[in-house]
Order: sequence, then structure tokens, then C-alpha cells
Amino acid sequence: MPSQAKPECTCGDTTAAAGGKRRIIFPCAGQANTGQLTNLAAIQLTEEGYGNIACVALLATGSEGLVANALKADEVVILDGCPMLCAKKIAEAQDIPVDQHIVVTGLGLEKGSSRDYTDDDIETVVSAVWEGEGRI
Amino acid sequence: MIMVKIEVFGTGCMKCKRLMKNVEKAVKELGIDAEIVKVDDIVEIMDRGVMLTPALAVDGEMKISGRVADVKELKEILGG
Repeated sequence: MPSQAKPECTCGDTTAAAGGKRRIIFPCAGQANTGQLTNLAAIQLTEEGYGNIACVALLATGSEGLVANALKADEVVILDGCPMLCAKKIAEAQDIPVDQHIVVTGLGLEKGSSRDYTDDDIETVVSAVWEGEGRI
Repeated sequence: MIMVKIEVFGTGCMKCKRLMKNVEKAVKELGIDAEIVKVDDIVEIMDRGVMLTPALAVDGEMKISGRVADVKELKEILGG
């Protein structure tokens, strides 16, 4: 009896070949709780196969390789912790178009002096990105 | 109001869960009457001809395969 091909799960596959999009994620990774949350969320999004985290500090230096990678991506996702919008400004300074922009304080999470966070806080940011809440 | 049948195909991986969550949010925001069914049986998924998961069917018609649609796209699919 001929065997039937099994369906393939696209988890972990971020390539366009899988019907998904090649995304690059820049978290602001700022020192405040909300900035740190962007980093944790970007790591989780990478692990879930949404896209690939990249270093916004390196982008700020004008790294030619990273700018080229960002320009090659199907979507650029920026995660800012607060309304200072540092990561978005860095991307704009390198003429990188932004497809989705999330500001953590805009999701009801408060910027404060404590760096305490919960798994729910990370989930709030991660699910907002999957939902496309910051799509431009 | 006519009830829409939405099927989410996936074997329980993270992307399938994300698609399910987005579908639930889209349905809630649209305020439509929908039956959301999670299809996680591999044999049924194969029988329906799904080759890439997660996948989504609306009233039996396959709309998305191999990716997670965001809420805006799902609302367009369900609202249009």
C-alpha cells in the first residue's frame, strides 16, 4: 500500500518557503523593566519561530551587514519599551522601513524602577506581536 | 445570524496555538457567531489534504496553510 505523505509542521521555520515570512526583530533592550521585557519577548518570539532577534545596538553603529539583513527581511518588527521609541528611531536612522511596531507601555504595562516581571508580562508582548497589533 | 464554522488544523505546536488564539480574538472583535473547531488528529488533518500546519478552513474551504495569520488578516477573511 503506498504511504501517504504526512503533513509538515512549520514550527521553527521562519522562511518564506514555508508560507511564512522572514522577519527580523529588534528589541530596544533598554535598562528599564519595559526595555528588558522587549528583549525577553523577542527571545521567546525567536524560539516560537516568529522571526529572528537582532541587536539594535549593533544596528545603531550602522553595521553594513545587519542593515543589509534588515533590508532583505520580509518584515521588520520593532519592540520599544516606552514612548522614547529608541529602537524605532535607530531603525529610521538607518533608513530601514518598519512593518510592525509595538510599544510595551502601550499594552498596559507600566515603566517603573523595579525590574520584576511575570511570565504574563512577556506573554502580553509576545501575543501582541503574533496578533499583529503593531502592524503599520 | 448564520454561524460560521472555523477549523484550525494543527497537532498542538506553538504556532497552532497562536493561530487559535488569533482566531478567537478576531471572532470576538468581529462579534460574529462562529463555531471554532480545533482539528488535532493527524489522520483527519491528512484526510483534509493539509500538508503544512497550522492551517485554517472557513466553512470547509481552506484559507491558510503553513503560517499564523494575524488578527487583521483573519478579520478580513472572516468579515469578507
